[in-house]
Amino acid sequence: MNLAVEEAIPRMVGEGKAPSTVRFWHNSNTIVIGCFQSAKLEVNMQACKETGTEIVRRFTGGGAVYHDSGNLNYAISLPKGHRLVPDHNLQSVFQRLSEGAVEGLRRLGVKAEFQPVNDIQVDGKKVSGAAGSIRWNSVFHHGCILVNSDLSILGKVLNVPRAKLEDRHVASVQKRVTTVRDELGRDISTREVADAIVGGIESCYEVRVESGVLMKEEVGLAEELYQTKYSRLEWNLEP
Amino acid sequence: MERSADYKASGGKLVRIRLTEEAGHIRSVRITGDFFLIPEESIGKLEKMLEDTPLREQEIRLLVNRFYSATQAQGAGVTPEDFVKALLSTREV
Repeated sequence: MNLAVEEAIPRMVGEGKAPSTVRFWHNSNTIVIGCFQSAKLEVNMQACKETGTEIVRRFTGGGAVYHDSGNLNYAISLPKGHRLVPDHNLQSVFQRLSEGAVEGLRRLGVKAEFQPVNDIQVDGKKVSGAAGSIRWNSVFHHGCILVNSDLSILGKVLNVPRAKLEDRHVASVQKRVTTVRDELGRDISTREVADAIVGGIESCYEVRVESGVLMKEEVGLAEELYQTKYSRLEWNLEP
Repeated sequence: MERSADYKASGGKLVRIRLTEEAGHIRSVRITGDFFLIPEESIGKLEKMLEDTPLREQEIRLLVNRFYSATQAQGAGVTPEDFVKALLSTREV
């Protein structure tokens, strides 16, 4: 249902029925694959069965990410033409709309930097990946921040192709990612990270973020999208 | 004949090609990977356009360029030339 909500919000923002929105959420054990990815190639199905990990596809491109309760997702939906991302260039969207999260992480003491195409890294290790799109008359950007995630499961459930690892001179996906907890050397809640990111967004973009709940129309659209798309095997697992 | 290749694009993204070739022509092709391309649905159009195209550099490049002009597609982490090279690299395996 979370990914159905993820699609419902930019659709409503693009129609002018919802305001520009920042959403925070997390899933229990789930692999979220990019819309162009092959589940069969990217995911270790057997490891998913053994660890009770679900597989779902999002509507944006990019790579597979592992979600658990130690992982914080944020999503920004803006109407097309918004002053923050006026030029409709996807690479610029990634850079500009990652800045709030980068600033939030820095406020916590993490030496975060945006790394094109779509990563936030700390000393060369990925702490967050982003994806996004420009469609439905909206600009959409979402990112997944590893806060307290279980990296040992991540290494088992994702198949990282040899071609992806070769040029980074590292042996596994587990060794090229890090968490906010590991960088700070202390336990930290996803709530604390979300609060820091709100602060980062407010200062970077000179906006005020007010807390709220989903509108009735957004919930209705999300339920429809869940029934017709995100609960279906043909969307999640094919090709 | 089934052909496949995993090609690392210049922007760091992976383009994975799985195709069926007959008499030097692409009969069907599936392009997957962790790249970005908008509009997202356009990838299906590229796959369709590639059907019956000779698996040769000149024809593939012409077709990929025609796809970008026709759809106004925009990529991130992948360029038109990456798709050309990924498709041609299936010949090397």
